[in-house]
Amino acid sequence: MLAIETRDLRRRFGPTLAVDGVSLSVPRGCVYGFMGRNGAGKTTTLKMLLGLVRPDAGTIYIAGRDALVDRLGAVRCVGALLEAHGFYAHLSGRENLDLTRSLLGLRRTELDRVLDIVGLTPDAGRRVGGYSLGMRQRLGIARALLGSPEVLILDEPTNGLDPDGIADMRDFLRTLPARANATVLLSSHLLGEVEQVADRVGIIHQGRLVLQDDLATLRAGQAPQLRLGCDAPDRARALILSMGLTPDPDSDRITLAPGADVRETARALNRGLVEAGIGVHELTPQARSLETIYRDITALTPPAQKEAA
Amino acid sequence: MLRVLTVELRKLNRSLAAALAIAAPGLIAVFTFFNILRGKTAQPWDMWMVSAAGIWAFFMLPMSVTALTALIAHMEHGPRTWDHLRALPLPRWTLYAAKILSVFLVLAAMSVGVFAFTWAAVKLAVVIKPELAPTGVFDASAYLTALGRMYLAATLVVVIQLWIALRWSSFVPGLVVGIGGTFFAVVATAAKVGVFLPWQMPVNMLATEGWRLQTALGLGFGGGLVLLALMLWHLSRREVL
Repeated sequence: MLAIETRDLRRRFGPTLAVDGVSLSVPRGCVYGFMGRNGAGKTTTLKMLLGLVRPDAGTIYIAGRDALVDRLGAVRCVGALLEAHGFYAHLSGRENLDLTRSLLGLRRTELDRVLDIVGLTPDAGRRVGGYSLGMRQRLGIARALLGSPEVLILDEPTNGLDPDGIADMRDFLRTLPARANATVLLSSHLLGEVEQVADRVGIIHQGRLVLQDDLATLRAGQAPQLRLGCDAPDRARALILSMGLTPDPDSDRITLAPGADVRETARALNRGLVEAGIGVHELTPQARSLETIYRDITALTPPAQKEAA
Repeated sequence: MLRVLTVELRKLNRSLAAALAIAAPGLIAVFTFFNILRGKTAQPWDMWMVSAAGIWAFFMLPMSVTALTALIAHMEHGPRTWDHLRALPLPRWTLYAAKILSVFLVLAAMSVGVFAFTWAAVKLAVVIKPELAPTGVFDASAYLTALGRMYLAATLVVVIQLWIALRWSSFVPGLVVGIGGTFFAVVATAAKVGVFLPWQMPVNMLATEGWRLQTALGLGFGGGLVLLALMLWHLSRREVL
């Protein structure tokens, strides 16, 4: 069963189609990375899931509940972090959490539980006005965790964090489904970060969901690459082509056929180059990163529709 | 609803709302205190208590409502908490209803403050100049009834000011309307049409003509309730982008 399922979500702001037919499918218990550039439509989509923005068309199901018909029932299953703001600076971290706890009608022990999960217990008594951005992000996640919701929606959780903060957040997010028994939908424009925590990804580009799949499947389906460094690139190129491989004209990479054995191909290529008298100083298998997948996909996507309202 | 209201009041903890609730009636009391001391002969209780209620209704109440609604709305606009609040599994109208109820609670405390602080100011002045001890009866129920009517007649002003303060994240529209409304209430005090001006409705509770009092009270309270229903409907439906 899916934790979140949308069908053909669409939302227009004036002449701009901000979200155009987005159909998300987020399985239970996974970390779903929702990626796209700034302005691609990520936040609008998340706001539609939370009932903050009404879609012009489409359906939204959260934990099996129709969010457009039963908003309260659907958002009762959701905890959300929308931005690092949203706290009363004159109150302490604990007092801020306690306001939301009271609104949700939860027990007071919930505060200690969520503060412990995000590692903020020692600073909970300090005023939020004195918190760093990283601490505010963690406090936001603690607030989202109140009541142990089935689904966590985190919008750019690493925004504004320093490298250490990003690393901490990455470790935290990776273990979150197991610790909180929840499904995590996180949006980010930092592809490298998503790649390290997500099980499944969706790429939104110009309002359209241009790719959605399990990360493992995506990687397996991508043709592997070799990186070649040699002293006669032009001669090497002819040899590479004669071996049935595809050299990238703009880089030192060679793309193999999907499913090809990288090690065997590298061995054969190295042998051929050396036998042809070409000195080889580098021949390295290259994993296709999410960034290259993203670039390939977005480069293929035609420009977004811009219609008159 | 009680849960949301309690949370709303807890947010006011360590904000400037308490300072405002004390300052506005306190300033009236300070003015009354020095006004008594500069007098030569004793005056009746009515003189001091009704004057204080008049200053309250005429100027301090609309200005306090302007400041208080701006403060309460900016508790959410400033730290951008609307998305968080509106995404919670609560009927959205309760968030806005709690806001207006907290304004009314603080305003009620201020109204009682006008009564209590003015009484204390008179008593303190008499300690310094015993010959100025007020004459006549201290008709507490009459003074409280007048303040209570002003409170009810202010419903329309409170709703207008809070609606504007919640609708726009900048405090400028609310201040412009509040200052403008109070300005016209002051410069057009004697105008017959003033009874229809929301900012003048509370002061009309001191009118000697019965129709003025009834009209201002009916429009201020009844109109305020109708506008309140519209405000809750509008704000809970609108998208905050």
